[in-house]
Amino acid sequence: MSAAAGLERKRLPLEGAQPRLIQAGPIDAPEAVVFVHGNPGSADDWAALVAALGGAGRRALAIDLPDFGETIAPPGFEHSAEGYARFLGEALQALGVERADLVLHDFGGPIGLLWAAAHNEALASVTLIDTGILPGFRWHRLARVWRTPVLGELFQAMATRRSFRTLLGRCEPRGLPRPFVEAMYDHYDWRTRKAVLKLYRATADPGSVGAGVAPRDDVPALVIWGEHDAYIPAAYAYRQRDVFPNAEVHVLPVSGHWPFADAPDTVERLLLEFLA
Amino acid sequence: MDDSRQSDGVRADYDAVIVGASLAGCTTAIALGRGGARVALVEKRPDPAAFKRTCSHFIQASAVPALERLGLLEPMLEAGAVRTTMRAWTRWGWIEAPPGRAREGVNLRRELLDPLVREMAAATTGVDLMLGQAAHGLLREDGAICGVSIKNAQGEETALRAKLTVGADGRDSQIAELAWVRTKTWPHGRFAYGAYFEGPPPAPGGGSTIWMLDPQWAAAFPTDDGLVFYAAMPTKERLPEFKRDPERALISFLADIPDAPPILVSRKVGSVTGKIEMPNKVRAPIAPGLALVGDAALAVDPLFGVGCGWALQSSEWLAGNVVPALRGEESLADGLARYRRRHRDELRGHALQINEQATGRRQNPGERMLFAAAARDPKIAERFDAFATRSIRPGALAAVIPRAIAVNARHALGPRRRRSASPDLGQPLGE
Repeated sequence: MSAAAGLERKRLPLEGAQPRLIQAGPIDAPEAVVFVHGNPGSADDWAALVAALGGAGRRALAIDLPDFGETIAPPGFEHSAEGYARFLGEALQALGVERADLVLHDFGGPIGLLWAAAHNEALASVTLIDTGILPGFRWHRLARVWRTPVLGELFQAMATRRSFRTLLGRCEPRGLPRPFVEAMYDHYDWRTRKAVLKLYRATADPGSVGAGVAPRDDVPALVIWGEHDAYIPAAYAYRQRDVFPNAEVHVLPVSGHWPFADAPDTVERLLLEFLA
Repeated sequence: MDDSRQSDGVRADYDAVIVGASLAGCTTAIALGRGGARVALVEKRPDPAAFKRTCSHFIQASAVPALERLGLLEPMLEAGAVRTTMRAWTRWGWIEAPPGRAREGVNLRRELLDPLVREMAAATTGVDLMLGQAAHGLLREDGAICGVSIKNAQGEETALRAKLTVGADGRDSQIAELAWVRTKTWPHGRFAYGAYFEGPPPAPGGGSTIWMLDPQWAAAFPTDDGLVFYAAMPTKERLPEFKRDPERALISFLADIPDAPPILVSRKVGSVTGKIEMPNKVRAPIAPGLALVGDAALAVDPLFGVGCGWALQSSEWLAGNVVPALRGEESLADGLARYRRRHRDELRGHALQINEQATGRRQNPGERMLFAAAARDPKIAERFDAFATRSIRPGALAAVIPRAIAVNARHALGPRRRRSASPDLGQPLGE
């Protein structure tokens, strides 16, 4: 993995919120590679990839979604896929991004795809990492716990650093790098835990998210999926061609839900080949 | 050997008629011919340079002594064959026997190996190579098989009578079918695609490499002329992707695996070949007057790279056990019974292990325990290497289980001790 050199870290002045931004490359370019993280996650997930694409001459940026990472949601923020998609649109407008190569992971998938559906012309390409359209998908066990009143709150209250680490480690075929997990937990504070409960409770049917996205054979697409994803089955990797018929699909055979953490070199190579 | 009457009174034209002039058939013919037998070696393909196209061509270390005894190793090396050790990727690390302790197999493309062995068989005293002749029936006498009926492209039929008929006609053996030999079929959950590439070696020392990706598999075999045979053996869910664009899927698959080989900077030579249905077939290797060798007797999952080696070994075992009978020194039934026992004792355990894994299932706890320990401990790695190259039987692996448990326990306790000294290890979690 490339060193995260040349990264610009700052706060983006948006009305009501000041999301944390990580950026690299020609920062005034109207076309940018835009990384959208999932849950749990933050802009930090993408630092190395933002640096790699910046180093390859592309404008690349990642922002914390409200109540994730170090970003506090503005009062009245709607913690739903639609609410986050609106936030993404406002952020890209403030950043002067006219066309975006989206790189989406986990819950960043529905958020990014909703934004793309409302901004057809602004979508240059899409990279889906363990996310995308999920026809027929039913929530995984952990999401069902989060969606259950009281049980979800209890679960979040009992998420100690050790239990968090153990849970993630057990669900990943090769484990995850310790610094990655530690940073993830550091950001998993009460504000984020409550946001997670609201987001999952606002999303009753994950299979319907992105169902409104019209097939786009004009949009280049890259799909990367960990074969042993314990949350969203890898079989969905190939279903992305329902919407992006020309998608290049890579199912990484010993990766889990975070391929950019357990196979960073492979993901970086694929992204650079696709976007740089 | 004379062609006098057999014990059952059938007059034989040959001591043995072998159907199939590929690796097993030719090897059997060479060994029988050197034992003094008169052998008819029948092959349906007319081209003396014909070769098996879908094959990893890896000859395991267990078969190298047979190659040496048959006088095949030297000609193979002169033809460019490469001696290689084997290393295996696991999620716990590489399993590699210590330097100097790893067993060496042999790699030579089948397009060179098959003609070489066939030429040697044809030059063996007592062996008549009959190309362009398809076996289409068996001759029987008093319940025993006593030869085959063959037919050429013009439809001319010839009856070849022999004391011993040998089926060396592969996984889908027609001889076994004609002889009503019971076939036990085991399901296979994978398919295979592969191609030769020109480029850097896949391992630092130029060795062969397999990736045990659980449940996917990949392999790289360096061979003659600076080529590397890259193979992907995924489970069936991935078949549509390979059918869509075999070359692209093969390269992507190999490039995306951990510690990937340098396939992206290599150049494909020749076409991508694939095999989609590869059910494992186990047959009784003998019947009255009949023996089966190579894949005709036992065809297992090709990802384990045992087919070529077992073809050579089973042929040598058969010849060694029936030559006295063909000389008239004992009954053929006794020689065949010894062959069956040898075949069973040497290969049954391996076949059971391979057939059970061929379904494409995930590794079980016992396998994970052993692989993890082998990646961590050189002594266990050496024993694993001996097993993987089929140089020892599966039962011999049991001896390392206590050590494997101790190695894994030591590993599990190790990080806790270190953690107390250093709170941030930056180590992967999980097992």
